[in-house]
Amino acid sequence: MTGRNGWARFVGFKMLRLVSLLVGVSVLSFILMQFSPVDPIEAYIGGDMIRVSAEQRSLIEERWGLNESPTERLLTWGQALIQGDLGTSMIYRQPVADIIQERFMNSVTLMAVAWLLSGIFGFALGVVAAMRRDSKLDRLICWYCYTLASTPVFWIALLLLMVFGVWLGWLPVGLGVPAGMSADQVTWGDRVIHMILPALTLSLTGVASIALHTRQKLTDVLESDYILFARARGERGFQLFRRHGFRHVVLPAITLQFASFSELFGGAVLAEQVFSYPGLGQATVQAGLRGDVPLLLGLVMCSAIFVFTGNMVADILYRLIDPRMNEELMS
Amino acid sequence: MGRFSWRWGKRKGRTGLGILLVCSIGLSGCAQGTAPTASSAENGQSGTALTKDELVLAVGTEPEGGFDPTTGWGQYGSPLFQSTLLKRDAKLQLVNDLATTYSVSEDGLEWTVTLRDDVKFSDGEPLTAEDVKFTFETAAKSGSVIDLTNMADVKAPDDRTVVFTLKSPQSTFISLLTTLGIVPEHAYGADYAEHPVGSGPYKLVQWDKGQQAIVEANEEYYGSKSAFHKLTFLYLDEDAAFAAAQAGTVDIAAIPAAFSKQQVNGMTLEAVKTVDNRGIMFPMQPTGAKSGDGFPAGNDVTSDLAIRQAVNVVIDRKALVEGVLEGYGRPAYSVSDDLPWSNAEAVFMDASLEEAKQILAAGGWVDADGDGIVEKNGVKAEFNLLYFAGDLTRQSLALATADMVAQAGIKINVEGKSREETKKMAYSNAVLFGWGSHDPLETYNLYSSTHKGEGYYNVGLYSNPVVDSWMDKALQATSEEEALPFWQKAEWDGTTGFSYQGDAPWAWLVNIDHLYLVTNGLNIGEQQIHPHGHGWPVTTNLEEWSWDNSTK
Repeated sequence: MTGRNGWARFVGFKMLRLVSLLVGVSVLSFILMQFSPVDPIEAYIGGDMIRVSAEQRSLIEERWGLNESPTERLLTWGQALIQGDLGTSMIYRQPVADIIQERFMNSVTLMAVAWLLSGIFGFALGVVAAMRRDSKLDRLICWYCYTLASTPVFWIALLLLMVFGVWLGWLPVGLGVPAGMSADQVTWGDRVIHMILPALTLSLTGVASIALHTRQKLTDVLESDYILFARARGERGFQLFRRHGFRHVVLPAITLQFASFSELFGGAVLAEQVFSYPGLGQATVQAGLRGDVPLLLGLVMCSAIFVFTGNMVADILYRLIDPRMNEELMS
Repeated sequence: MGRFSWRWGKRKGRTGLGILLVCSIGLSGCAQGTAPTASSAENGQSGTALTKDELVLAVGTEPEGGFDPTTGWGQYGSPLFQSTLLKRDAKLQLVNDLATTYSVSEDGLEWTVTLRDDVKFSDGEPLTAEDVKFTFETAAKSGSVIDLTNMADVKAPDDRTVVFTLKSPQSTFISLLTTLGIVPEHAYGADYAEHPVGSGPYKLVQWDKGQQAIVEANEEYYGSKSAFHKLTFLYLDEDAAFAAAQAGTVDIAAIPAAFSKQQVNGMTLEAVKTVDNRGIMFPMQPTGAKSGDGFPAGNDVTSDLAIRQAVNVVIDRKALVEGVLEGYGRPAYSVSDDLPWSNAEAVFMDASLEEAKQILAAGGWVDADGDGIVEKNGVKAEFNLLYFAGDLTRQSLALATADMVAQAGIKINVEGKSREETKKMAYSNAVLFGWGSHDPLETYNLYSSTHKGEGYYNVGLYSNPVVDSWMDKALQATSEEEALPFWQKAEWDGTTGFSYQGDAPWAWLVNIDHLYLVTNGLNIGEQQIHPHGHGWPVTTNLEEWSWDNSTK
């Protein structure tokens, strides 16, 4: 089988997986929402509970199609989806596609920055720790990683907010743009400054897993025979790592980093809440708490595609970097 | 994960975050402990800033649906971009806004409103009766929280006259005239909620979704101008709002009571009176009844008047305010304390163990077996009190109340339940609820026998024909002034009513103050008694806000 054919099959197979995944998660989410104790009408009415009559309730039900049976609703939703219509959000009263598009741009920049930072620093820390195994530095890095790995994201977020936003006053306490500034005055600098704290939060916690993993992997490598041989030839330190270690640890690190998309997404939801950062996180929390089914399904599919893409990229990179994989899996 | 937030039973669930934040602020308090006179120094500093005509506010959550009054915008506080036909002043008395006069026909079915003729929308177009008609028709069709199901028809016979026809008399229809902002027919479209045009004091300049709304004064506004040309509303969580206040980013921030002990340099804490109340609802029927949805209803203990009155009178409401609300609140004796339609005579002396014991004894409840709990006909005076799990304030109120009531020999088992469980169990167990609205219709919905067991309306299945007839008279009245005495009589008419002296279907506990951190020198005027729910009502009297250099 030729390489090109193999790739086509690989991509085709992945696409099929994606479609079945999307169908699966949306149906599952829909069913879960049906069992959720949140009554969408009540959530919609909110504080006006005692001023909205039974008659008006049924009008609301009708307006949002909540009086139809769940199967009917799911089918209507699916039909519209095939025509490219994600439906209208109950709480935002706006097409779901618009909301996701708007929010996605904010979140994606935030996540990309955090992802790059945590990847680079995590990898570097892991390498340093393994090269200096059992030194004080190694212990410090391990301690840092274990602490971080067991720390909730929102707690870190609050801590950073208190220190840099309130005590030191260096950075803004929330939002994605300066308060009260009209859109045409907002500069890229402003946006970057507002992104620092949420991105820092996300990357601080993201560092732990990649660093620990890289450290372990490199430790194994360093104990191998060929390293012993290299050492015997007098190779030391960074040179040793560059020639014999790097290739072995970078692959698993990359895979892990791409596979961490789901944690990244989950972390972003929490960090965005704390910093009032207008990304997908805020919208997801609202949709879930208030039983906004179309919006939630839209967001679920969006995040599924996001995580799936991450994993697929990891797969592809693996094959590009290590051609042996290709031969093994596709022949 | 504790980030739950509901407009109803506001955000008390995020205790984890709250406590954490308070702790961290506690640390900062130590760090700043070297400057005991910080606030006076701050006053001097901010002197230069007192002339600015811009404000940054963090006073409430984002209206996600946008700024369209026909789908619910402006129901709490002023619609800001639109104006209403009538409004309520600081004393909650009705005053004209767009209307110059209004009248109601003898049978209460036809409402005629005459409009000012000098009103323009912010785009320069005049506001006419057609716009009012259009607004009400659109709202009726929108399937939103605006309940216009009782409106049969609205007509605009000429440019300045609007005639509403109702299906049945409803004096509380006035609430719709005071809350529904008028939208322009010519500028109303699919994206109106994002680009509102109205005749209110402000116009929307920019809305950064999920973050902030920037508004500027509307030059076309016919009313008295606000001292502030530009306002920025930040949509921050309460924790973030507090952090922003500490960082000096905002001029006014709504905060939960948990943060009230923390000093913020340059800001003063203002507590605003509310009818944001909490009270205990009692099932009024003996066991065996059924709710409208078929859930088991009734309770043999709480259906006894002596029990309900004893619980009511033994509770020390002042102690609840001090102990649970940190002093930020006041005792509650009805669903509508201090509102025009509540009856001042229904207030009573509470915290009286003696009286509670007398009432119980007279009602046949005696502690025969000496276990500290009174019985009657073999039934122990014991019942459950449910509250929404995760709401700290409600939990504390319920526990404190149970302790107080235990002295009189009544045992209350406090249980936190989810909203869904509560909904099913509410008809047969006492529940700690919270209400409070600027609309007497709420009173009707809570106590009228026509709404027995209908969702959250009259959960206790209370029914008293005399109370019903007073409330029907109130609804049929042709003006609010005429309706007021009837509402008051429904509460207590000298012989019966839904107050403590009458059937006591509820034991009201406290009204919770809404707390705002306000920059020193900013005067937010005389505030109305706020309704249930936090935030936007503070902006109702924006035109009265000013920098106050003379005091402090």
